[in-house]
Amino acid sequence: MIKAKRMYKYFISICLFFVIAENFSQEQLKDSTFTKVKDTLGYKTNYGLRLGIDISRPVFSSLYSNYAGLEIVADYRIKKNIYIATEIGFEENTSREDYSNSTTKGNYIRLGLNYNAYKNWLDMNNEIFVGYRYGFSLFNQTLNSYQTNVSDGENGSYFPTAMNTTDQSAVNLNAHWSELMLGIKVEALKNIFVGFSVSYKVLMSVKEPIGFKTLFSPGFNRIFESNTGFGLNYTISYLIPFSKK
Amino acid sequence: MKKRILLLVFFIGIISACEKDDFCIENPVTSKLIVDFYDDTNRETLKNVQRFSMVSEDKADSLFINKTVNSISIPLNSLKTATVYTLKKNDADGATIDNKIATFTITYNTSEEFVSRSCGFKVVFNNLTFSSDTNSWITDFTPTTVINLDDQSEAHVQIFH
Repeated sequence: MIKAKRMYKYFISICLFFVIAENFSQEQLKDSTFTKVKDTLGYKTNYGLRLGIDISRPVFSSLYSNYAGLEIVADYRIKKNIYIATEIGFEENTSREDYSNSTTKGNYIRLGLNYNAYKNWLDMNNEIFVGYRYGFSLFNQTLNSYQTNVSDGENGSYFPTAMNTTDQSAVNLNAHWSELMLGIKVEALKNIFVGFSVSYKVLMSVKEPIGFKTLFSPGFNRIFESNTGFGLNYTISYLIPFSKK
Repeated sequence: MKKRILLLVFFIGIISACEKDDFCIENPVTSKLIVDFYDDTNRETLKNVQRFSMVSEDKADSLFINKTVNSISIPLNSLKTATVYTLKKNDADGATIDNKIATFTITYNTSEEFVSRSCGFKVVFNNLTFSSDTNSWITDFTPTTVINLDDQSEAHVQIFH
């Protein structure tokens, strides 16, 4: 019995040894051999300011009569994998609901960081990135028309209701939010990048109009019941190279 | 594998962004007036109204036709400050000559309140007062005034017959 137990211990130790040994060998490859080779060969990539526009917004503007928007995007590379990124834009959207019709119009800015998780080959400069943004918007919302909801499950709408078409404007509304972003950027031509990203937004605070609700915020899109939102970007941008590192 | 996961996340993002998230689950959005019918002699017990019909003077369609009820919830006309209902009961065999008619009038003032994106605006009825014509089958009712209809779990007015 004792002998058998010792045998097990022996095998387990051997196994553990290999696990550790493998770990060491991995790290060594990363630390010295691999990066050193890269350094000596010197594949350098461009650092600089990347400017572009979101091309999905003009497309949506022409497709949907209730939407107009424009967004300028920019990022600046500060580390090998880290970019400071911002989006500035204008949006006007009419929310057509069952009992209300309201138009939101205003400007927004989103500011944050992108982390590139993609390991590029040679001197390629593509990205699969995750990002964080803080968003802020300033806007006006006009309640164009509304109708009271007097129907119910039992009787339907027994009495009529009137459409109220007097505009009610609320000015200087604002919203703050946080968003997580996930996207890709591909260098399609030299210094010209095509990017796609989706984002999940969580509202931190919003100024609501009196007697109504903010249903849409520029830069945030539709404000869902749980104070969350989703965004989509399709960008084309140009890199103005400042230096090669 | 990494790419597949990313692709999946993209699609989930796109799909969930398009899905309609809020359906109006409040029923009713605008409060209704709840009326219970009690026995006039034994005032603690509910009493059914036989062959009960009800119509508002603003409408040609009836709200109830020949129902047996002891509790009803009725909408109020939000475009006016008074709703007049005509109530019919028939304790006998249903012949027209045995129909008993009563009118019940509710006066109030209204305001509007936003509920949610999907439910829209509701009408709030305040300072309600009730009255019925004399010498009808409605012998009495209580109370005669109600501040508002916010509570939809119990009757606002009891009618004795």
